[in-house]
Amino acid sequence: MKDIQEDQPQTQVEEYDPSILPNVLPIYFKRLFPHKLFYKWLSYGEPTPSSVFVNREISFTIDDDIYIRYLSFENDAELEKEINSKAPNKIDIGAVFSSRPKHHRSTPRMLPVEREIVFDIDLSDYNPVRTCCQGNSICQKCWKFMVVSVKVLDTAVREDFGFEHIFWVFSGRRGIHAWICDPEARKLDNKARSAFADYMSLITFSSDSKSEGEQDTIARVTIGDKMHHSVKRALKIIEPHFEEVILIDQNLFGQENGILKLIQVIPDENARKEAEQYLRKFEGKSSKEIWDAFVKYANSMRTSQSGSVWNRKLKYIVEEVQIALMYPRLDINVTKGINHLLKSPFVIHPATGKVCVPFSAQAVSKFDPNAVPTINQLLEDINKYDEERKDQNSNDDKSNMKEYRKTGMLKGVKVFEEFLRKMYKGIGKDKFDF
Amino acid sequence: MDFTLTRRSKVPIKTEYDSLENLYPHNIMMYNLPPTEDIKIEEFEQLALERLKLLRIFEQSTSRNLKFGSDDFKEFVNAEMTREGLKGFLKLCSGNSTKNEAKKESEVQARRRDYISHFILRLAYCRSKDLRRWFIDQELLYFKYKFLALTSSEIKHFLEINRLDYSAISEEEKSEVKDGLYESTYGQNAAKIELTDFYKVHFTEVLDLIKFRKCFIQKGFCYVSSQDFISIISTSYAQKMNVGLESCQRILPEIENDDRLCRLLRSLHKSYTGKDYTVAANQVTPESIDQLSNKSFPLCMRMSHEHLRAHHHHKHDGRRQYGLFLKGIGLSLEDALRFWREEFTKKVDNEKFDKQYAYNIRHSYGKEGSMVNYTPLSCLTIINLSYGAGSTHGCPYKIFDTATLKTKMTSYGISQIHIQEIVNYSSKGHYQLACGKYFEVVHEKPLEAGINHPNQYFEQSQIIMGNREVKKPVPNNPRKRLAGKGLNYTMTENDDDDELWQVAEKEESMFSQKTAFEDDLDLTQINEMECN
Repeated sequence: MKDIQEDQPQTQVEEYDPSILPNVLPIYFKRLFPHKLFYKWLSYGEPTPSSVFVNREISFTIDDDIYIRYLSFENDAELEKEINSKAPNKIDIGAVFSSRPKHHRSTPRMLPVEREIVFDIDLSDYNPVRTCCQGNSICQKCWKFMVVSVKVLDTAVREDFGFEHIFWVFSGRRGIHAWICDPEARKLDNKARSAFADYMSLITFSSDSKSEGEQDTIARVTIGDKMHHSVKRALKIIEPHFEEVILIDQNLFGQENGILKLIQVIPDENARKEAEQYLRKFEGKSSKEIWDAFVKYANSMRTSQSGSVWNRKLKYIVEEVQIALMYPRLDINVTKGINHLLKSPFVIHPATGKVCVPFSAQAVSKFDPNAVPTINQLLEDINKYDEERKDQNSNDDKSNMKEYRKTGMLKGVKVFEEFLRKMYKGIGKDKFDF
Repeated sequence: MDFTLTRRSKVPIKTEYDSLENLYPHNIMMYNLPPTEDIKIEEFEQLALERLKLLRIFEQSTSRNLKFGSDDFKEFVNAEMTREGLKGFLKLCSGNSTKNEAKKESEVQARRRDYISHFILRLAYCRSKDLRRWFIDQELLYFKYKFLALTSSEIKHFLEINRLDYSAISEEEKSEVKDGLYESTYGQNAAKIELTDFYKVHFTEVLDLIKFRKCFIQKGFCYVSSQDFISIISTSYAQKMNVGLESCQRILPEIENDDRLCRLLRSLHKSYTGKDYTVAANQVTPESIDQLSNKSFPLCMRMSHEHLRAHHHHKHDGRRQYGLFLKGIGLSLEDALRFWREEFTKKVDNEKFDKQYAYNIRHSYGKEGSMVNYTPLSCLTIINLSYGAGSTHGCPYKIFDTATLKTKMTSYGISQIHIQEIVNYSSKGHYQLACGKYFEVVHEKPLEAGINHPNQYFEQSQIIMGNREVKKPVPNNPRKRLAGKGLNYTMTENDDDDELWQVAEKEESMFSQKTAFEDDLDLTQINEMECN
């Protein structure tokens, strides 16, 4: 795993040092943070003072983890001013309440009424199925898990629920977030969110205390008698990636005790033991060979022993294994709660210095999380740009130009702009001026 | 004579019927507004009991684990309705609203009874959370059962009347999403899906289906089969009922000013509407009781019998519970006197028995005092009797802790596995289910009906053992029974009975004067009982 990080392209020229944050953050917010777009998003086209905006909880984390909750702002100017002066390490976005959150102490009956539906996926939940990286690190190989997740969830949200206004964000370290912003989605209550979240998560996790060695969370999937169309569609997305990701990149079953990773998905204890006994012969072979052997084995068990578990409960076991290993692993509670705070896009991840940037779901496979610029790079970009232009003596247009256009952030901002443009059109606000 | 004839002439009926048809336009109603017509107190009572019987049938269906809508379920519910004389309700449950004018009238009348009785029971069932839940559960089953029988056009009519904005999707639309329906409609095969109507509803209305991926969903809309559609409608119905019950509770104090209503409403839930065991059909001799008690007595009575044999005594409630049961299984008055005398005189002399207890026994057979032929106590009554130190009555599944029950049943030779099953029920408060399980274990046969009366337990047992024949169910006619009111307190046994009994007890003590209260003050006996 180490060599992958060493292989990183030259984008990470210098080591990022978190201690510089207090010095550079004010500059970042002042010059690069897209305040205007941010307000456009959270006001949803309502004229100022927009009620969805003024009742929205925003929280700041400043200095060393001082967490300030229940902030709210009257308009874009106030928000911009506060962000610039506080230069928070982190900004979180909460729910829209029935009244202004900043008055929460004097309004005891303040209730959350609206909130985007969000997804939160963290690569560390994939540790049992990734061999390339562990902990906080992330590489192009394990990013493929995110690629599959984005495709599966984005399609399900659009096709099954008919939501259109969704944007995806790289969290800055090892996870991704999604914000579903359709008016209907924002107004769902907790019960509906909970059902929605359960619909979106297929995997059930359990931990097997009896297994030797390190404790593993075991991911299992039960398809049942019929395959629901959403499961079928997810499988269609997963299948073409399965060989590349699980068998080749991760070589999951070829590791020491790799066979366990495969057979532990089988819920039936006896069947699991049978399969293990059979697969032990292939120990040490490549993942591909082990997988092929398993598929063959499962199929022959299914056809030869009619009426056995392989034929009934385990008739979809091959599909279940693929789903269990690759289906999106959602932090489900974040999606279920209307009042859950989630990190805002465009803030700087304090540990990595990287910007939390939106990316396009269509182009998710081309997105490289390690190429996301850090705050130092961004500031350097501006300086470099200004330096070059200075020579050409074209100072006049510089002042009008949005500064993020000069940096590596441009792509992320563009994606966000595009999302807002479509959303404004969708909610009948055609005029989206920048 | 003449007078009635004119009253029954065609014209007034026609108008009455027309307005009724307007008031009650459909076999299924959401019971939105309470009825406003005046009714007689007798009818009020009648309707209340009718509805109660109806709901108890649905309660029975649940305790027998019948799957809603299955053939067994239908067969049971329909048979019970016929047996209880609830023809009108049965008609409403069988759909196909009639076109025949003559029959139409009786159908509309049935709707009226349905409507009014529902609201009467709301009054009786609004007073506590438990009662409300019970009521809503049974009402929902009834509602869904009626819904099940509707044809597509009747469903449409129902939705229109109640301004529910749903409609079944057209055949074209259905064929467009056919693949999705096949794949994703839970638990239904393609053939069934072909035949079922589907409704398109927003996903927020069927969150449970969404949660478990049980229906086809596209662009935010779910396609649900008419079977699942029932649950959407019934959810909104349940909510309405809940709101209705709560507001009912608020006006309750006003209604309870009326003593006549108050008594009925308060005791309704506990009243017993099952078979009348007041008059036994067969004969039982005192000599056979020992043997019978081993197999055909429910645990409560078996223990009562053991107590009597061991201690030669029973306290007042114990005598009542056991004595009436014995009467119910066919112990004649003469035999009862002999039986009780034999035991009691092992402790007290003959004279005291005559003075203190004999009157009581004759009284319970309706031969003394108020001359009421008392009804054996039902499970509900026994379960609800208050129980104190030294009491020798009550439902053992309720009053004994698990350990005591286990010891007792082990001594009866019941295997540990079965005992565990039984106490699993009793520890969760399902006393009658525990009793039913005990029955099954003792008889090694499945129990057809749930246990709701000790005498029913006895009868079932005797039938299984081949000592009695299965009798053809005779429809109970509520009106006839009510007509006999005053002498026969079957219908509203409980509190009334209790009161009467107390009065009789007093009379009895006045009658025997001298040592009237000695019985209940005999502390040595209490201590003795506690020691055992």
